Amino acid sequence: MRKDLVASAVLLLVASLYYWATTDIPTTTLSDDIGPRGLPNVLSILLALLAIGLGARALLAAPVAAPEIEDDKEKEASTLRAFGLLLVGALYVPAAYALGYVPAIFLLVVAIAAYEGARVSWRLFAVAAGGAAIFWLLFVQALGIPQPDGVLLPSMFSEFRL
Amino acid sequence: MNEFLHGLQMLVSTPLVFVAIGGLVWGILGGAMPGLSASITMALLLPFTYTLEPSMAIVMLATCYIGAEYGGSIPAILVRTPGTNSAAATVLDGYEMKRQGRAGEALGISLWSGVIGSLFGLLMLMTLTEPLSRIALLFRPTTYCALGILGLSVIASLSGKSLLKGCIAAVLGMMVATIGTDPVDGVSRFTFGTADLLDGVAPIFAMVGLFAVSELMTRSGTSGTEIGRQEIRLRLPNFAMMKKLWPAQAIGCVFGTLEGLTPGGGGAIASFLAYNEAKRWSKNPERFGKGAEEGVAAPETANNTVASTALIPLLSFGIPGSNSAAVLLGGLLIHGLLPGPRLFEENTDVIGGLYVGSLVATIAQLAVGFLILPVCLWLVNRPRPYLAAFIFALVVSGIFTLNMALFDVGLVLAAGLVGYLLRSFGFPFLPAVLGLVLGELVESNYRRSLQLSGGDIGIFLEDPIAIGFLVAASLIVVGALVREWRDATSKRKVST
Repeated sequence: MRKDLVASAVLLLVASLYYWATTDIPTTTLSDDIGPRGLPNVLSILLALLAIGLGARALLAAPVAAPEIEDDKEKEASTLRAFGLLLVGALYVPAAYALGYVPAIFLLVVAIAAYEGARVSWRLFAVAAGGAAIFWLLFVQALGIPQPDGVLLPSMFSEFRL
Repeated sequence: MNEFLHGLQMLVSTPLVFVAIGGLVWGILGGAMPGLSASITMALLLPFTYTLEPSMAIVMLATCYIGAEYGGSIPAILVRTPGTNSAAATVLDGYEMKRQGRAGEALGISLWSGVIGSLFGLLMLMTLTEPLSRIALLFRPTTYCALGILGLSVIASLSGKSLLKGCIAAVLGMMVATIGTDPVDGVSRFTFGTADLLDGVAPIFAMVGLFAVSELMTRSGTSGTEIGRQEIRLRLPNFAMMKKLWPAQAIGCVFGTLEGLTPGGGGAIASFLAYNEAKRWSKNPERFGKGAEEGVAAPETANNTVASTALIPLLSFGIPGSNSAAVLLGGLLIHGLLPGPRLFEENTDVIGGLYVGSLVATIAQLAVGFLILPVCLWLVNRPRPYLAAFIFALVVSGIFTLNMALFDVGLVLAAGLVGYLLRSFGFPFLPAVLGLVLGELVESNYRRSLQLSGGDIGIFLEDPIAIGFLVAASLIVVGALVREWRDATSKRKVST
């Protein structure tokens, strides 16, 4: 119930921000009757109404039964740990921008695997190096798709063809 | 039929078998890679077809399409990441089966259903191409809008325990769909001055973020034992299971055919509608979402049927029924082939090769599946930290291929964060995906309809196909509301 109340409040905030952002949408003299703001306005109002409905339901619902116990439910990470993983993964973007594809993938594999509990050893680095090489062979060489080119190590791997 | 007989002769006189299998393998590998949609997989293959005979080039592209539609289900089942848009509905029960240690069974059902869907689609392609394509010409903006609304009505059964939360998720998805260039006026919306957002947020970004990244976040640091040491053996369904699956597969075939004939429909709508109907007609609808075999069979049959039936309007009138069919149209034009009745008269080798090549690829799918799937299962059983790291690496690499932009990687990570929050608060993902996929279709065609009528909404009543779609959508929604009301009433009775 508490979660639904929090969700309701967050959704109301989202609806308000979205509605506020619709005021920035330009209109032209060629606009049709509905215009580019039409659907966004409807959606923001709809979301606000649904959020109010969710909040009202959470307040009115009687706590009649104990929460269901799901025996087969998998273990889930704590919120902090989950956000940590996302943060580690997000570091790929600046790494790829600065170093380029292969070093960034190598670092990503090492960082994520270590964060997930792999022992930091020569094996981890070897697997990461092998993985980065395989990804490079697959995407750049086999599929011919250029991957990020680092500003510090330009064209080292990303577009080099065998 | 003459074309088919001509195609059979090509089996011995041309390298058709090798080309068909080559296209199939490429398609499966591309489809299995999150971020590479069926159309991108085909587009990557396009340059390699320049040097081939026109008939062989078309066979390679068509069989690649078949392979990609099937391949999309592999990551959907194994890593909760649909390889293609149309595999999104497979995630629901496919991944649940994998969690229960039944990955081999889920992949077997997916493979078998894919073969059934492809064969049925091929039969439709060969027999109904010309007569049924006339329906496509009757489609107007009102029809497309109604089709989108019909697709959205499926939310009612994808919402899980709470229809209200499903509706909220769908609205959020539609909100994301409004980002980018306005489909009618061409002005930019919610781009905040960023050129990267002008094309909007591609559904594949949202799907990879919502499903794969949020899954990695949720399972971070947990041991892999609950996910289970999976059996490394592909299990095709036995006779009893085949008997159990056929109603769901029949539903998939019907929706796959209808959507294939509908330009713009695509495999995603077909698989969601098939999933919804399979659940509705099932004797045990409560098993859906908890590892129901029919929940894998229905969408997989549907999207594999679409892979063939989407070619019907393409070959007859040059109207591509999906993005992938549009790439195939490009392949036809590159080789100087113009779709239409004359194609059947003047290029029997192309049509015959296409029919027989598709048949070869469909049959070969079983053998190729047996060869490729154990490798996929082996990969999934690697130590969890390494597996998580490589899935992350695959996601960021695959996503970059779409627009060659690191900005897209950031979008996917943001979608992962949203997915994690939605999951934490008990909101279902699939309605959000459906809202994102269909939002633009509904909005643009609704506005075009009103432009045509001068603002008169009565234009919808002049379109019998649209009326049919809207009535069907109403029935689905009312049925879901009645079901929810019944469930609530029975729960209240139990508690008192």
